[in-house]
Amino acid sequence: MSHIKRLSLASITMIIGLSLPAHAVEEITGLIIMQAVDDNQRATNDSSFTRLKLSSCKFGVNKGRIACAESPRVKVLESVAVNYGASLKDTKSVSITIEPASERGIGMLTYSYDQEDRDNQTWLYLSALGRVKRIAGGDSEGDTEPASLFGSEFTTEDTDTGKLTEYQVNLLEETTRSKRAVWKIEMIPNQARAKKSRYSRTVHYIDKTRYVALRSEMYDKYGKEIKRSVASRVELVNDHWIARSVTMMNLVSNRLSNMALIKIYTDLDINDDFLTQRTLTDTAYREATLKQLRAQLD
Amino acid sequence: MFRDGLLILYLVVPMALGQALEAQVLEEGTLEEELIFADDLFTDAFDIIEDIDSSSWRDGLTIRLSQQISGQVNHHLVEPLPGYLLSKHGDLENNRFGINLRYQNAFALGWLLQGSWQARAYWPGDYEYTANNDNLDAEYRVNELFVQRSLDQQSLKLGRQTVVWGETVGNSVLDVINHTEYRDFGTIDIEDARLNQWMLVWDVFKDSGNWSSFINLYPEFNPQPVVGSPFYVPLPYELNDYIRSDKTLFEVGTQWSKSFEGSDIALMAAYLYENQLRYPQANPQPIDFVALANDFVLLGLSANRAIGKLLLSADIALSHGLLLDESTLSGGGGFGLASDIKKDQIALSLGFEYGISNLQSLSVSIQAKRMLDERDGLADEQQLINKGVYGSWLVRYSNQVMNDNLGLSATLQGDLEGDTGLLFLGADYSVNDRWQVAGQIISIISKKNSPLAIFDQDLRLGLIVTYAF
Repeated sequence: MSHIKRLSLASITMIIGLSLPAHAVEEITGLIIMQAVDDNQRATNDSSFTRLKLSSCKFGVNKGRIACAESPRVKVLESVAVNYGASLKDTKSVSITIEPASERGIGMLTYSYDQEDRDNQTWLYLSALGRVKRIAGGDSEGDTEPASLFGSEFTTEDTDTGKLTEYQVNLLEETTRSKRAVWKIEMIPNQARAKKSRYSRTVHYIDKTRYVALRSEMYDKYGKEIKRSVASRVELVNDHWIARSVTMMNLVSNRLSNMALIKIYTDLDINDDFLTQRTLTDTAYREATLKQLRAQLD
Repeated sequence: MFRDGLLILYLVVPMALGQALEAQVLEEGTLEEELIFADDLFTDAFDIIEDIDSSSWRDGLTIRLSQQISGQVNHHLVEPLPGYLLSKHGDLENNRFGINLRYQNAFALGWLLQGSWQARAYWPGDYEYTANNDNLDAEYRVNELFVQRSLDQQSLKLGRQTVVWGETVGNSVLDVINHTEYRDFGTIDIEDARLNQWMLVWDVFKDSGNWSSFINLYPEFNPQPVVGSPFYVPLPYELNDYIRSDKTLFEVGTQWSKSFEGSDIALMAAYLYENQLRYPQANPQPIDFVALANDFVLLGLSANRAIGKLLLSADIALSHGLLLDESTLSGGGGFGLASDIKKDQIALSLGFEYGISNLQSLSVSIQAKRMLDERDGLADEQQLINKGVYGSWLVRYSNQVMNDNLGLSATLQGDLEGDTGLLFLGADYSVNDRWQVAGQIISIISKKNSPLAIFDQDLRLGLIVTYAF
């Protein structure tokens, strides 16, 4: 039997949605910027339908350019997510693996809660298992080490939201990156957060007009840059600027992963019944409902 | 004999590993401040947008090709019967090529067609090849084939399919709806051994709980061991298949289930036939065993509870009308004469799974059964195969390493009496998105009084190369 993953696909899309609507702020601070970014990540995930492609490979330099040194490993997943709760901080999501062929049809349903005393709930459907199986994964915080998302260089730590109070956020400077004006913002975890983090410091470059993180650098406790993410294909999707392609490079292992949002639609009318175990087992129902969702996109 | 199988593997593995490195791997610390990606790096990710909207019948087809070799490698002596010593030599048992097809097509709104098929070709050295008088042999089977119609709150599935009850993975006393076949040691998990049956399944989805009911108008039974397979024991008499004659057999059952925060619970009831056929002695001369299908009623309860990273599960089964002398071995490996006395049995599966991390897990489960008033109606000389509480246990550890590319697992299982133990070590390596190589080591120890005594000290090695697309 294949191994069982305890990761929510819905959380993956959050890393790409590092954008926020432009609003007038007289004395903007790093915290205000990142708070808006954080809130906006939830908005890009709400009532959404997403198809994403996750490609990973060992990288090297070919004619002065970064390139894969091997055939990339590719996963394609489809996800539907809806936010719940008074502050829309709880999420129900369902994701289905499309590729690779050996994992096709694996489905996962996740209810994640913002409250620290509530454990997330996850059910997995493996066709070989023949039934839905509950997975015990604990809460999203816990004391667990950050884990890789589907074997990629993205980790659960890279997708966290709502943790700004656990960081010291400093607006370092206003500069340019990729020919665009950006805020350079530094995030340093507090003592409690640092125990759970692989990063001692993260630096984001936030596009000043589109509010998208064009680049992020992650440093270890020795001050050495260990990971770097670069965004591209920044597009306006349902009034939110979103980087539809983000590449995360692990500078220690020389591996990179690219997360491409092939399709993303938000603010859809999604029936609560769809975010239940029925969607995992009843393929006829799932496909019929997805077809109706796609009809909303036209 | 191993060379035949290895030759095929030598041919296919280089194809899997043939990935040319076009870019030089970076030395540490040589990355430029500003990154320039190759023009074609992941740009094709968005090229498939058009494909998504124009679905094709081919989208739902998954094909898996595999080549398996495995065999017993330990030279040793066993004593399956008192005073009868048997010398076992290392030899190939499996050398087979497999094709598995799986097809899924939602051909109309609310409709689904799903099927899976498998074919096997048995090469020289495989026991099926030997059993076929050293001729190439092949086998074809429909595993799954059903049509599903889903409406607002209901779903109907008609066709060949499985119904799985119970929470304890791999060791549930409630997972008895479908029959099973443990043909050889390549099949360890019940998920692989379960056989589909022709059924109508009706699901009703309500906020108050889900109902799932089935009716099976052609119950099937565990097939007899294949001639030449490790579980095949030559007998001086013939075990006949079940003769259906004019009697109409059917199975029917229903399950109610509901999920709560941190817990799932289900109640079930069914009228079933025992999957293992029974053989009361019919004619003393000549010895002739006529298969008997025994019906019984099953009542069950299953539940789980998640506490942090720990998942507890429990299955309880009360079976009314089981025949005595049931063997613990599925698949017909064990053989005991059935009495004509029906008994009630209570059975329990308990399990826990602990998610050590997102990639590592440990699970432990135990299955225990007891016939109620087991000696009532028996003469003193009549002996039971299973006395008192009997059952099995299972411990499994799994870990994903190398960016999910390598899956390691260790499974240890045995019976409650401590007569047998089986250790399974597995490694699954994904060479790329299509090629996978799996290695297996299986070691068995067994006491002389166990039905598995003939496998004592066996050591089996196996290798499977798979290509999926």
